[in-house]
Amino acid sequence: MKSDTAILSKELPKTDPRVKLIAAKMKKENYKPDALIEILHTAQNAYGYLPKEVLAYITKSLHLPPSRVFSTVTFYHFFSLKSKGEHTCIVCTGTACYVKGAQAILNRLEQKYSLKPGQVTPDNKLGIQVARCIGACGLAPAVVIDNDVQGKANAEEIIETINAKTGII
Amino acid sequence: MNTIPITINDKKLDVDPAKTILEVCRENDIEILTMCHLKGIIDIGACRLCLVEIEGINKLLSACTTKVAANMVVKTSTERIKKYQRITAELFFAERNHVCSVCVANGKCELQQLGYKVEMDHIRYPHLFPHCEVDTSHPWYVMDHNRCIMCTRCVRVCNEVEGAHNWDVMNRGHQVRIISDFNTPWGESITCTSCGKCLHACPTGAIWPKAIVQGQLEKKPEIISELMEKRKMKL
Repeated sequence: MKSDTAILSKELPKTDPRVKLIAAKMKKENYKPDALIEILHTAQNAYGYLPKEVLAYITKSLHLPPSRVFSTVTFYHFFSLKSKGEHTCIVCTGTACYVKGAQAILNRLEQKYSLKPGQVTPDNKLGIQVARCIGACGLAPAVVIDNDVQGKANAEEIIETINAKTGII
Repeated sequence: MNTIPITINDKKLDVDPAKTILEVCRENDIEILTMCHLKGIIDIGACRLCLVEIEGINKLLSACTTKVAANMVVKTSTERIKKYQRITAELFFAERNHVCSVCVANGKCELQQLGYKVEMDHIRYPHLFPHCEVDTSHPWYVMDHNRCIMCTRCVRVCNEVEGAHNWDVMNRGHQVRIISDFNTPWGESITCTSCGKCLHACPTGAIWPKAIVQGQLEKKPEIISELMEKRKMKL
């Protein structure tokens, strides 16, 4: 719990294309409070996460109590209050992938980037997450890098792909 | 007024079909334990203490959210219900850090009363001992999450009676917490009107006024029920 009254009163830059996207969505939904989840979806997709000032902006525009918006955001796993990174690497740890060595991949990635699942690099370039079965058991072990599924993954290949995408060496 | 016949604990009654089982029982002096129910605000059936057995239905249903129906046969104090009430009460105590001896509400706490009612002598479940914060940022009141049982009476009173909606619930499962605004300290809330209704609605010592010593808390949840009755009156 920390004080953020200052964040709540901060105005968002109107020229930001992401803010424009949210504004357009809210207008389309007629500023109905019931459309909160749809609008949060748009915001989450635009930013990759939900910054507090964006939540404050949505709250103000829809005339909703701030606590209602916050409770919705924390209830659904889809919404995140922290940045997941510009590029994401999701390692499947479902049964099949686990048996085929998902843990070894995770260990190698942790060793290489010093990231545990759920963490993001300090420069926000890369975030590593785990998933419980992505439904590609035939391709075990499966890793998803920026929405591209890599089947029968090998730790070194994964690192190569990540380096190419993020520019980390 | 149309009435329908129902049977509660072998007692035949003629009741208003718009009422819930709980309302009927309260009117006829049939005891039903509750925690999340507060007359005047909307019932949500969260505490699961008011479960009753209804003939022909296998599941136990919550009396506060079930409307009466014609020829319904209800039982309110069978062995099965008592067993579940005891479990529920124990889980309440195991979930947070309830220490009656140092609590402001000691002796006037609804949770404590519940423990006595269900004859709870020990708790069979491992305590979670969660790390909970005590929010003393408000100039007059304190919110102690250690003593909260998530009945959400404060949330509903703030929304329905005061209309401020300062409180809500964040997260899910055992990580749920009552929050004010964006999980900001209560004292910095932009919606709170400091009316103190949540304080009276709270069944335990989770919300209390500062300058109160141990065991001296006076809570009057009935003022909220009376207020709502008065609002319904036509002048």
